[in-house]
Amino acid sequence: MLPLLFAVTEAAHEAGVAEKFGLEWKFVVLQVISFLILFGVLYKFGIKPTIATMEERNKKIESGLKNAEETQVRLAAAAQESAALIKQAQQDAQKVVDEARKTAKEFADRQNAEATARAADTLAKAQQAIELEHKKMLNEARGEIARLVVKTTEQVLAKKLTDTDRAAYNDAATKELTTI
Amino acid sequence: MAGDKKTKQLAKQLFKLSLVNGQVSAEQVAGVLGYIEKSAPRHPLALLKLYHRAIATEFAKSRAIVEHAGPISDSTLKLIEGAMTKKYARPVTASAQPNPKLFAGLRVRVGSDLYESTVSGQLANLSNAV
Repeated sequence: MLPLLFAVTEAAHEAGVAEKFGLEWKFVVLQVISFLILFGVLYKFGIKPTIATMEERNKKIESGLKNAEETQVRLAAAAQESAALIKQAQQDAQKVVDEARKTAKEFADRQNAEATARAADTLAKAQQAIELEHKKMLNEARGEIARLVVKTTEQVLAKKLTDTDRAAYNDAATKELTTI
Repeated sequence: MAGDKKTKQLAKQLFKLSLVNGQVSAEQVAGVLGYIEKSAPRHPLALLKLYHRAIATEFAKSRAIVEHAGPISDSTLKLIEGAMTKKYARPVTASAQPNPKLFAGLRVRVGSDLYESTVSGQLANLSNAV
C-alpha cells in the first residue's frame, strides 16, 4: 500500500499535477492513514467476523448438504431394502398361496378318490346283495317247486300205486337191503 | 355228579351181569333186580332207569323193525332177519310194522341204525337235492 502511495506522491511531484489540482500531500497521507485505520478496524470487527460467520454458515450448509446427500443415499438404500423386503414378502406370500392351493387341490383330490371308492364299494355291496337276494329267491322258488312236485307225486302215487306195484317194489327193496 | 358217575358204573356192571353168551338172560335180569331190591343202593331210581335203558338198547339191537307200505311176506322178513343176523353177528328177529306214508318199500331199524329203500325216502332225497 505504502509503495503505491509513495509512487503516486512521487509521480505527482514529478508531474506537478497535485499543485494544479490544489492537493496537499500531508492531508492525503493523513486521509490514507485514517482510511487504513478505519479499514483495519472494519476488517477486524466487521469484515473478519462476517467472513468467519459466512464461512461457518457455508460449512454448516455444506454439512447439511452432505447430511442431506447421505440421508438421501440412506433413504435410497432403505427404499431399496424395503422394496427387496416387499418383493421377498410377496414371493413368500405367493409361495404360501401356492402351497395352500396345492394342499387344497390334494385334499379335494383325496376326497374325490375316497368318495369314488365309497361309491364303488356301496355299488359292489348293493350288487352282491341283489345277487344274494336273487339266489335266495331262486332257491326258494326251486324248493317250493320241488315241494310241489314231491307233494303231487306223493298224491299220484297214493292213488295210482297198486298192491302189486308195492309188492314188487318191496321185493326190490328187500334185495337191496339184504345185500348191504 | 360223583354219585351219578358211580351209579352209571354200577348200572354198567349190572348190565354186563345180565348177559349170558352176549344175550340178555331173563334169569340174570331177575337176579339183578332182586339184588337191587335187597341191597337198596344209592339213587335206586336213577340206577333202574340206566339199567332199563341198557337192556332196552340191547334188545333193540336184537330186533329189526321193518316198516313197510303194501304187502310183505314172511319170507321177506326171514330174508331181512338173516341179513341182519349176519351183519351184526347176533340173532336178530324182524317184526313188521305197516307205514302207508312210505308209499312203497322198506325201512329197517336195528337199534339206532336205519336202512331204507322207500319211495318216500327217494322223494325226500330228490327234494333235498333240488
